[in-house]
This record gives sequence, C-alpha cells and structure tokens, in this order.
Amino acid sequence: MKYLSQLSLLLPLAFFVGASIQYLGVSPGDDSLVSLYIRDGFLIIALILSLPLIYKQKWASDRNVLRGLRHLFFLVLITSSILFLSGDRLESLQSQFFDQAFFRANLSDHIFVISWAFFALVFMLIALGTLRNLIYIKRKKSTAAIFTLFMVFLLFYSLISLPQSNYYRDSILHDFALYRYFTYAVLFVLINLATLNSFRVGWINYLNKKQKLGCFWGGLILLPIQVLFVINFRKITPMESFSPLLEQFIEMGMLFLTLYLGFSFLALLAHLPTAQLYDRKMQQIQSLHDLSRSLSSEFDWTKLVRTIVKLASEVTGAEYAWLELYGAGNGSLSLISSKHLMEFERKGWSATTAERLIDWLKRTKETMICNQVNKNDLVKDIQTWKKDIGSLIAVPMIASDRLLGFLYVGKRYEFGFEQDDAEMLRAFSDQATIAVENARLVEESIVKERLEQELKIAHEAQMKLLPKQMPKLAGFELEAVCVTANEVGGDYYDFFELGHNKLGIVIGDVSGKGPSAAFYTAEVKGIMEALAKEALSPQEMLVATNEILYRNFDRKTFISLIYGIIDAESKLFAFCRAGHCPILYVRETRVECERLEPKGLGIGLDAGPLFQKSLQPQSIQLSSGDTLLLYTDGLTEARNINGEEFGENRLAATLLAVKNKASIDMKKHIVHSVYTFFDGQNAYDDLTFIIVKAV
Amino acid sequence: MDTFSISRVNNNEYSILYLNGFLDAHTAPELENEIEKLIQEGRFKIVVNFNDLNYISSAGLGVFMGFIEDIRKNGGDIKMCSMSPKIFRVFDLLGFPTLYDIVEEENKAIELFKN
Repeated sequence: MKYLSQLSLLLPLAFFVGASIQYLGVSPGDDSLVSLYIRDGFLIIALILSLPLIYKQKWASDRNVLRGLRHLFFLVLITSSILFLSGDRLESLQSQFFDQAFFRANLSDHIFVISWAFFALVFMLIALGTLRNLIYIKRKKSTAAIFTLFMVFLLFYSLISLPQSNYYRDSILHDFALYRYFTYAVLFVLINLATLNSFRVGWINYLNKKQKLGCFWGGLILLPIQVLFVINFRKITPMESFSPLLEQFIEMGMLFLTLYLGFSFLALLAHLPTAQLYDRKMQQIQSLHDLSRSLSSEFDWTKLVRTIVKLASEVTGAEYAWLELYGAGNGSLSLISSKHLMEFERKGWSATTAERLIDWLKRTKETMICNQVNKNDLVKDIQTWKKDIGSLIAVPMIASDRLLGFLYVGKRYEFGFEQDDAEMLRAFSDQATIAVENARLVEESIVKERLEQELKIAHEAQMKLLPKQMPKLAGFELEAVCVTANEVGGDYYDFFELGHNKLGIVIGDVSGKGPSAAFYTAEVKGIMEALAKEALSPQEMLVATNEILYRNFDRKTFISLIYGIIDAESKLFAFCRAGHCPILYVRETRVECERLEPKGLGIGLDAGPLFQKSLQPQSIQLSSGDTLLLYTDGLTEARNINGEEFGENRLAATLLAVKNKASIDMKKHIVHSVYTFFDGQNAYDDLTFIIVKAV
Repeated sequence: MDTFSISRVNNNEYSILYLNGFLDAHTAPELENEIEKLIQEGRFKIVVNFNDLNYISSAGLGVFMGFIEDIRKNGGDIKMCSMSPKIFRVFDLLGFPTLYDIVEEENKAIELFKN
C-alpha cells in the first residue's frame, strides 16, 4: 500500500513527461496556440493530480515544526544555489527566447529548460507541502478552508493569466483590457489569501528560546536569499518558453513562500524578547503538571514533601524553599522539608517574630511577596537566621478552610520575584495542599484500620481468657456473664477446682482499656491459675498475687480483685476483697440485700506490707436459697441516655426482685434490666457478673 | 462525647488542679500531661480539686499512681479534695484513702502540706 501511494506519483509525472515530449516535438518559435493549450493543459492536470499526493507524504502531514523549518531552509538554499550556479546559461537562454521569437534552440538547450522546469516544479511542490504542514499546526476550523482556497486560486490564477504571456499573444484575450482587470482582481484575491495564510505562524509557540534564536539566525540568512531568488527567477529563467502556466504557478508560489517566511520572521522577532518568559511559563506549567501527576499517585509522605519543596523552587527559580506544616496531633508548626535550609537555621526564627508573619498570612489568607526582606517589618527577622535571603514569597496552605501550613521560597538577591511568581506559587501550593491533605487522610485511615484490627485481636484474646464452660459444684448453681461493648476492657473472672468439693472463684477488673488491659488480664490469669494449685487461703492468694503483679505492672496500672473459696460441704464462702466492688448478698430469709465490703487495697497499688495489712478476710455461712452476686463496676456505672448510672441500689433492687428464682433466670433478668435501662445506649464498660446460688 | 478539662492555679509553692467533666481512659492522657508539666517545673506540692469532676474511671485513678512515687521522692505529694460522694466511693473501694490524703476542702489540703 505504501509503495502504491508512491507509485501514484507516476501519474502526474506521466503528464509532465507528456508535456515535455510535446514541447520537444514542436520548437518554441513554431508554437501554435493549440500546442500551447495542450502543453499547459497537461501540466495543470499534472499539478492538480500531484497536490493531494504531496499532502499525503509524511513530511507534509506530521506537523513537526523543526523538521518543516529545516526543510524550507535547505530547500531554498539548494534551489537558489542551483539557480545561481546555472544562472548564466539560464539567463542567456531566457534572453534569446525572449528577444528572438524565432530563436531555434538546439535539443540540449530544450532539455536543459525542461530539467530546470521539472526541478523548479518539484521544489515548489515540496515547499507548498511543507508550508501547508506548518500552517496546519494549531489548525482551526477555517485553516484548511483558507489554505485550500489559496491553492485553488493559485491554480486558477496560473490558468487565467496565461493570455498575458508573450506566448499567447495570438489569443483574443491578449489585448482585452477588461480581461486584464479581471486577472488583476483574481491576483488581488490570491495575494490576500496568501497573506491570510501567512498569519498562521502559531508554531512559533512550540519553540523554546534556543530554537527561536536558531530560527532567527536561519531566517537572517534565508530571507535575503529568498528575496534575491524571487527577483531573479523571472528575469533569468526561460521557463515561460516551456510552459507559461508552470512559470506563473511557480512564481506565485514563490511569492507566497517569501511572504510566509517574511511574516514568520517578523513574528519570530516579536516573540524573541519574551522568549525567556515564555519558556519559564512553559516550565511552570510543566512543573504544575508534574506536580499533579506525581502528587496524585504519591502517598509516601517523605517523598511527597520533598517533591513539593523541589518543585516549588523550580517553579519560581528560587534558591531556597521550605515547607512548614502544623502537626496533625498537637498542632504545632514544624519544618517538614527544605531546600538549602537547615533545621537549626529555621529554629533561629524566634516564635514571636515568626508569629507576626504567620498571623498576617492567617488573617489575610493572601500570598506574601517581599522583594526587599530587610525593609519589610514582617519578615526582616529572617535575615537574623538566614542572612542571604533577599526576597521571599510565603503562601498559606489552606484546605477547605483549614490551615495546614506554609510554603516559602526565597532568593539571594533583592527583587528576585515578580508578581507572576507569587501567582504561580499560589497555584502550585493549592495543588500541594490537596496532596498533603490526601496523604494525611490515607495515613489516618491506615492507622485507624490497624488500631481496629489490634482491638479485634485483643478482644478475641480477652474472650479466650474466660472459662469455656461453667464448673459444677454440688449444692450450688453458678452463672456468669461477660459482655464487652465496643472496646476491650479489663474484666476478668475465673473458677478453680481446688478438690475436696471446693471451688475457687475470682472476679477482677484491670485498670484502663484496650490491648494493654487485655495483656495484663492474661498475666493475672496466669498467676492466679498457678497460685490456685497451692491451696492458699483467699488472703494468702491475694498477697502472693499482689507481690508478683506489683513487680510486673507499671505504676499506673492496678487491678481490683475478689478471690473467694466455696466449700460445697459446709456451704462456707470465704473471701477477700482487693479494691473490688462489693459482693451483693441476698438471703432467702430476708428481704434486703447486704453489701459485703471488707477493707482491702487494689492490687498493684502497694508493694506489699500496706496491702497485706489492708486486707480483711471474711467468711459467710450460706444457706439454701441464698445468693451471691459478684460484679465489676461496668454493671453499676453503665449510664443511660440521660447520663444516669445504673448504680448499686438499682442493681440490688433488681436482684431482690428475683431472689427466689433459679440462677439462670436471675442472670436473664439482670441482663434484661440493664439493657432496658440502656435503652439502646452502648455500655461504657464491660458487663461482667457471677451469680452463686446455694440450692 | 463526654468532655474533660483541667485548669491550674499556682498558689505559692502549691499547685491546684481543678478537674472538670469525665476522666476516663480517653481523657486520662490530658491529666497525665498536666502533672508531667508540673513535675518538669519542679512543682511537687499538688492539690487536686475534684469538685467539678462527674466521673472517674480506673484509668483516671491510674494517673495518680503513675506519678506519686516520683513526687513523694521529691518531697512533694498529691492531696485530693472536694470529692462528690460518688467519686469518693470509687477511690474508697480501691483503698485510696490509705494511700492519699483525701480531704473535704482545698484549704485543708494546703494546710496538710504545711504540717
């Protein structure tokens, strides 16, 4: 296919060859109008056929500015050199053809003329293709229409101007004045169209400063050559003798080329002074683009802040740049990242003087641009810790009304910044603010997720610490409940089968919440389990536990415990309380609820002696139908929507109301009462209790 | 969410902390920071006024335990005053009255320091 399109160029070539053969067949002086018509007819067909083929060529459709310009440069250079080199022979032929109407040239002269015509035609076609390529850059709706119209008029004018030629002097239109005016009118339109097309020099915008300078020098060389070329072309080429049409076409095309090059050169001149500015603008836009691209994908905090500072200095061409952000937690401002600025230098900025600038930025939410740092009261203190900052821009970074921090850039020299820099930095900082906010949100959500995961694990661990099944004890009913709300608490209960129909019961509450409370609970369980095997009394048990835990706990952690032993045979309940909530005791024979609250310090509060002294062992002789309720403060401190606590009294009343029921019904009743009281509110603590009922 | 706040008044060598609101595992770090600051400033004679405290959890009690050794070593103490019966009950259950001076009024707490 590719070669086919190349081959199709053979068709217009064939018409050209046809015209050439016809030219050689009749010597110039003998030209009749008919033979001229045939030749020019052939050639216009060749032109019309070749143009679309030229347009399809890669070099005429790739919109590559620099290559297009290089093409034109060498094209003009080579063609004009050839014109100059073969100028003598061309000129002599031209004058002979022109002066002597019946000059009989020999064959080699004719072939020379044809070759020159062919060469000039190829040059023109390539030049037009290249120009079209340039014109179509940044094309608008009308671009193609105007260019095509120009080409149509170019062909049309070449055609209708033929009778003006000396060779068509036999034509009736040759001396027809009105027709001449008509050709002038068409010429006028053609030149206008050429001018209109010459305005299409938008490609200049794509050149950077260096390229613009290159084009300037190139143009300086090219333009005079081109002008000379155009002037000489008509004078010295004998092309008219081959085809007046081709001559007109090439001449007009050449005019257009000169016009276009001239306009381009002027536009280039106009662009040169601002070239640097333009380049910088382009670089800034590029930086902004880079930023949004790298920022949208960058959640690595360190990389992100480094990128922000680097690009901020690039955007403004500043030597110094630094980023200060408010911490997410305590809200103090700190240097996050910097370029050519050390942290200890920044620390030299006393809080009180820094505060003045920060206050100003906070209040106005404006960008601060200062071109003489030492003359501005707000910022002159900067020179006390960074001597060589001459000009400065500071931008507050505000994300949806929240101030995240400030972005600074500085230059060594005074008057280093323009208003434009401040605006650019502002635009840049807006992007950076979003990125910082995003990165923080992502980090927060990761932290939150991890915390939730940890809590879940801790919660599971805590649940595993509780006995899997209730022990059996002859003559007693035992029930236990442990519900944890949203959080992991430190509630704990356990049973130890001590043999001889004795059962150890422990209930406790580790201070604090969360994973650490769960770990301490595990520690307590391990110690209690080990100690329970030693058949100690409740007091000995707690003293031993305290001794070990006091060593292992950190000072602010403690645990409240009750340890008791039920003897199933004697129905004696012996226990000690170490800082824990009292035991509620309901006798079958009485209608009140007793609080069993012997003295006792919490475990982990004292190293030993004081603790041991504080404990008051107590024993209760239980009878059939008596109930003990051991609980943690989660049960009494549970608050309803009005902030009212469930409280000991309400708990006692609840227990009394069901004192004659089986322990399992008591459990259900208490749980039901507490949840009714909550009325949908979550408990603030764990809900843990044990019911011991003698039957 | 229940709130918690602390205000501090320095009275000669004594520092009085007024606790307000709910002191639980979430708000305990605030109290911790405050006492830490006092220790850094070398102010070891501390009175904590519980008059406006509505609730205290075990984590809140833990804060006092965390610092008391350090403070007493430096010749200071934490004395507590103006507890509502409910708050006192929490302290009492754990046996805090054997570990700390808990009095009814702020003046008495300061007087205790003087003796």
